[in-house]
Amino acid sequence: MTKFTLNGKSVDVDNPPDELLLLVIRDQIGLKGTKYGCGAAMCGACTVHVDGEAMFSCQLSVGDIEGAEITTIEGLSDDGTHPLQKAWVAEQVPQCGYCQSGQIMRAAALLSENPSPSREEIVDHMSANLCRCGTYNRIFKAVERAAREV
Amino acid sequence: MTGQAEKTLSRRGFLKGATGLTFLLGTGGLAAVRADADTAAVLDVNPWLKIQADGQISIVFPSTEMGQSSYSTLPQILAEELDADWDDVVIEQLNADDRTFGNPSFGGILYTAGSTGVEGYFDPMRKAGAQARDVLLQIAARELGVDKGTLVTEPSAVVAQDGTRLSYGELARMGTEGIVIPDADTLTLKSFEDFRIIGHDIPRRDVFDKSTGRAVYAIDVTLTDMVFACVQRAPVEGESAVAVDDADARAIPGVVDVVVLPDGVAVVAETYWTALMARGTLDITWSQNSPHRAYHSQHTLALYASQAETPPEAPAVWAEKGDAPRAISDADQSVSQSYLSDYAYHAQIEPMAAVAHVDADGKGAQVWAGTQTQSWTTQTVMEVLETTKDRVRLNMMTMGGGFGRRTAFVQDYVRDALLCSKAVGRPVKVIWTREDDVKNGVFRPMAVQRMAGGLSSDGKLTGFHHRVATPTVIGFFNLSRWNTVRPNDVISMRGAESKFYDIPDFLADHVITERQARLSPYRGIGAAYTGFAAEAFMDELADAAGRDPLDFRLDLVQDNPRGRHLLEKVAEMSDWRNRGDRAMGLAFAGYHSSMAAGVVEIALDRDSGEISLTNMWIAADAGLIVSPDNAHNQIEGGAVFGISCALTERIDIEAGEVLQSNFWDYEVTRANQVPPIEVYMAKVDAHPTGVGELGLPFVPPAIANAFYAATGRRLRHMPFTPDRVLDVLNG
Repeated sequence: MTKFTLNGKSVDVDNPPDELLLLVIRDQIGLKGTKYGCGAAMCGACTVHVDGEAMFSCQLSVGDIEGAEITTIEGLSDDGTHPLQKAWVAEQVPQCGYCQSGQIMRAAALLSENPSPSREEIVDHMSANLCRCGTYNRIFKAVERAAREV
Repeated sequence: MTGQAEKTLSRRGFLKGATGLTFLLGTGGLAAVRADADTAAVLDVNPWLKIQADGQISIVFPSTEMGQSSYSTLPQILAEELDADWDDVVIEQLNADDRTFGNPSFGGILYTAGSTGVEGYFDPMRKAGAQARDVLLQIAARELGVDKGTLVTEPSAVVAQDGTRLSYGELARMGTEGIVIPDADTLTLKSFEDFRIIGHDIPRRDVFDKSTGRAVYAIDVTLTDMVFACVQRAPVEGESAVAVDDADARAIPGVVDVVVLPDGVAVVAETYWTALMARGTLDITWSQNSPHRAYHSQHTLALYASQAETPPEAPAVWAEKGDAPRAISDADQSVSQSYLSDYAYHAQIEPMAAVAHVDADGKGAQVWAGTQTQSWTTQTVMEVLETTKDRVRLNMMTMGGGFGRRTAFVQDYVRDALLCSKAVGRPVKVIWTREDDVKNGVFRPMAVQRMAGGLSSDGKLTGFHHRVATPTVIGFFNLSRWNTVRPNDVISMRGAESKFYDIPDFLADHVITERQARLSPYRGIGAAYTGFAAEAFMDELADAAGRDPLDFRLDLVQDNPRGRHLLEKVAEMSDWRNRGDRAMGLAFAGYHSSMAAGVVEIALDRDSGEISLTNMWIAADAGLIVSPDNAHNQIEGGAVFGISCALTERIDIEAGEVLQSNFWDYEVTRANQVPPIEVYMAKVDAHPTGVGELGLPFVPPAIANAFYAATGRRLRHMPFTPDRVLDVLNG
């Protein structure tokens, strides 16, 4: 059994301890906003917060996060009103949208430690995540918009 | 009513439920079929839309959604002519191979590719909306006892001269007695300046769900009793498993079955993790006799280069005007050069995934998949289960990227799910890992392009010959189509026609080389590499002529005022005339009938060989823009894709095996590699022509041309990886 906090609620799972956190979140707990893209820490579609820090959930075994606080896109806000989510809508960022949960979670970790990042800091931080549709410039603008409104 | 209309009507079962009003889209456009006089709760005006008594208007979305936003854009076209309030509209995904809604650009196949959605559906969906609007006006005229000509529409309402308003929902309730169904071809459509939706920035419908993790892709589908499958595929195309030792896999708790597929072995398990772990224990002996084991991409490129030089048989003419070879040999000066490009992989971020639930008799199935075609997905199910169309129930899921990856005639990931579900008698979700997808990708083909041009003594282009040595893509991914269109392969050759220039003598021809890898359409299709060769060579010609690259091109667009405007505009945006020694490159390319002129500015690290982009300006013309903000996003996204294919994207094959495996060795452009991009879209009164591919083709040549500005040397092999850049710098 592994016990951790997910989006503010305590959960217990009996998955094998080496099973990827990503799969536990998606298939065991049923939260599908966190995506599988590469399984190799290269695309960031699986980005979640572990104790407030953006991490690749495809690189974590569920046994490693005993006692940790995990936040997924579903836990960022109840109703899609996190400043980043509002900014994503205002800037009409997504195209296919598949990477965007991870992008938003990555950006949220940045804003929580640096509420007014420079463009350069945003670009640098967001380079961990891929967007094959090429929405990067809109992502930058949306992060800046959210930072202004926080 | 025509015979064909009757047949289609009966097939669709439109009369079920005695709705108020039924129209039909026949071969010649929309034709009136039937008007029932009974009062109905729903106004079922024609197959494209329904108006509910509460005012809700549902509009069919005939394509599939992979990020291009035609999910929003196409219904907006109909809503415009209907004069609907967009907030009243619900979008209904077409989940069947119903050719009533076929893509006019693909002969009526349900096929979402090649930036054809808006271009192809613009007229039929406008007419469907206009026809329904006319019916609503007739009902209102009857109810109010006034002449129809005195009535106007406002969003979702008919308004009389005395101010009386009847909402579309109220009119839907009032019945259709006495209504004459107009021939949609005779209706006057709105003038562009009267549009309330088209050309305005209506927010996309899917952005909120895609910003909150709520959008559901095929990979997210979960069914009761569903199990997961992971497939070990043959390492080389054409091989299959000749012996499988699955004892260890079957001993793992949670493994449900091991299923041998035509080109692989699937482990089906209660969780994906178990399937993945059990796959690793399989001991499979593969056959060893595939001819693909002889293929090495370096040899492939050398073969194509020699055949570009000396074609083994007469090349297929793709576009021709006058006598280009003669004009070139008679020219005062002639130039020739070859351009090379490697295989490229789609790298859509959602891996291939599908869910199938095969019926107990094995002759029908419900399928959840993200594909670019209802028609070929249906075909896949029919072939795999040896069944008929009526047994196929599709759920077309929004896709985590397409870019051509999901267009094939036979869709192997759907097939995997079907065969596994049939074997285990439960719903099965198949997920390809990223490595599975790269290793078993279907690629943009390698190409060698032999360019030749002739110049007059005063520096004008007199003849241009663009020879492309590359395989047929259609001949692989849709053989039956190839048998119809051969030797013209639009996927392999698009862009080589250089149709935006007026060149006195012009020839583009196709040396159809042997296929030595799995192939597929890719973003920009042929223009992803033909645009590179054509526009990088255009700069070489300008240089040989001693002309500025802009002036040299302006000479060639004197009969193309819209193209000329783009070149002048992008020159103004980038301050091209005052660029001094900045490393800037220009290119003018496009896709089908959409044009883009672009300028990039680069920085070069001469020690590492790394090129980075510091600025990009794009002037684009895609006819009437239905959804400007989305078009901007698409054009910019295409340009970012173009940076990626210009600088890093490369698949290598050795002994038939793909060497790359994931994003660490197949690099896709990241946030820190994207420059500020300024996009201008021309406002023109012309049929819309598509924006999905448009941003890509100009980018590789513009980068190559900027590199020349910086170094005086030419990049002629795409991608321009640091090792190649260093070779060129030191060569």
